[in-house]
Amino acid sequence: MTKIELETGGTVWKLLTKKGDRVEEGDILFILEVMKMEVPYEAPISGKIIAVHIAEGDFVEEDQLALEIAD
Amino acid sequence: MNWKKEIDEITQRRKLALGQGGDQAVAKHHAKGRLTIRERIDKLIDQNTFEEIGPIAGAANYDENGNLESFDPANFVLGFGKVGGRRIVVGGEDFTMRGGSPSPAGLRKSVYAEEIAIQYRLPLVRLHEGSGGSVGGTSGKGASLPGPVNAPARFKSVAQAMSTVPVATAALGAVAGLPAGRLVASHFSVMSKKTAQILTAGPAVVARAMGEEKTKEELGGWKVHTKNGTVDNGADDEGACLAEIQRFLSFMPDSVEQLAPVNNCDDPVDRTDEELANIVPTDRRKAFDMRRVISLVLDRDSFFEMGAGYGRSQITGLGRLNGQPVGVWANNCKFLAGSMTSDGAHKARRFMELCETFSLPIVSLVDEPGFMIGSQAEREATIRHGTSAVLTAAMTTVPWASVMVRRSFGVAQAAHYGPEGFVLAWPSAESGPLPVEGGVAVAFQREIASSPDPEARRRELEDELAARQSPFPRAEALGVHDLIDPRRTREELCHWVGRIQPLLPALLGMAKFSIRP
Repeated sequence: MTKIELETGGTVWKLLTKKGDRVEEGDILFILEVMKMEVPYEAPISGKIIAVHIAEGDFVEEDQLALEIAD
Repeated sequence: MNWKKEIDEITQRRKLALGQGGDQAVAKHHAKGRLTIRERIDKLIDQNTFEEIGPIAGAANYDENGNLESFDPANFVLGFGKVGGRRIVVGGEDFTMRGGSPSPAGLRKSVYAEEIAIQYRLPLVRLHEGSGGSVGGTSGKGASLPGPVNAPARFKSVAQAMSTVPVATAALGAVAGLPAGRLVASHFSVMSKKTAQILTAGPAVVARAMGEEKTKEELGGWKVHTKNGTVDNGADDEGACLAEIQRFLSFMPDSVEQLAPVNNCDDPVDRTDEELANIVPTDRRKAFDMRRVISLVLDRDSFFEMGAGYGRSQITGLGRLNGQPVGVWANNCKFLAGSMTSDGAHKARRFMELCETFSLPIVSLVDEPGFMIGSQAEREATIRHGTSAVLTAAMTTVPWASVMVRRSFGVAQAAHYGPEGFVLAWPSAESGPLPVEGGVAVAFQREIASSPDPEARRRELEDELAARQSPFPRAEALGVHDLIDPRRTREELCHWVGRIQPLLPALLGMAKFSIRP
């Protein structure tokens, strides 16, 4: 299981995946807006999304757990 | 009469010294997944190159007939060795004796490390695992005679080493007190994620003084210290730490009196990568991967990043262009838009000082939106730390090449350009007093507020103004040396490396300012 934690705080601009989705390594999972920049988070592994802890529009913080992927 | 007895005793003492803290202590150390100091040194240096200093320094114990009964070696091992065929000075605490807390002879060897590196003008590698003095004193048998008031200042040689020879250190177990202070007084430091903690004071002292109950890992594990810049890098285990030190040394000269070693380069100077043409998205709000830009421009696989976990809006490291070692500094727009935070500024300043100390040319890939703003940034004195970086850049004497990759704004951008530097711009380059996003919000405040859809009007104004920031007028005005196709960046920088070669020898010697932790 791989946990995706946030590098920085910001706002969740787009959430491009949901629980149960199958993702491939390199797929964009969600996009954070940080200081007017769109920062995409890519899947580090291929697998299935088993938990989503963020929603579009959320104000999020550094180190916050965003998603969990099972390989 | 002959010297046989004495010669035999020398052999005997050497043999005993190699036993370190004894079989039991060594086995206990191994059981914790850690190597002994002698194993660490062997792993770091080229085979059979160790030339030990003071191998029989220590304390001898005799029986009633005056025969050698046992021997306690100094618990710091010191000597010369070669890394990649080049001689270095290497030393470290022997944790199997007194937990690395210095014995009298151990302390003498330990403080000699810097002195000998300075004397021979050789890089110094310290492999730390140990603590500082104990209240019982170095003899462990109660108070010893205090040092004289006119003794040389303990840290003078530590400071001098920093401005004379490359110093690389590893924390391989728990490191506290004096060894922790010396660990951070280095040009490159790395800690083992598995076995190391760095502590100003350990859990017992913290609990007593502060009432705070924390484990060693919670107080000073790698997650704490790679993020706060105490060490540059964290590596998986001891072997990986030593490999990082070898890599760091490969870029460095032996001392400030030599130039960094230029390698033969088989990566073509005129190699172009299509990916560079469009690596910066035309949509200004979209981030891109600056580390990818770095790897495409430098000699293949030559980038060695230092301090990736700290001041993360800035990327710093060493690399090569046509074999020439260079310092590389770039903005990471994926972290706080790449802005100059207080810790990012501190990291950048130290990095410029490293390059200045060892006459390493600086390559700067610029995507600087300005100083970090907001209440937290104000509390962190961003403007002061940021200006410190700006002034450091202004005082450097090493050659600079700066590539305006995207944004170059505000006072902060000045830190990314050295005096008389070579400046290139990509078509995506934007520059000015402040990014349009901030500028629009201030200058068009009323117009935006009175619009039926303020958010849409704001974006519209931003796009309109951004379009006016074309780099062509700057190129027409010779505001840059050239506006280039991004694919030609490597070739341009390699030509620059060729042009600066005659300038480098004049930079040798002690720098006007050096690096401090």
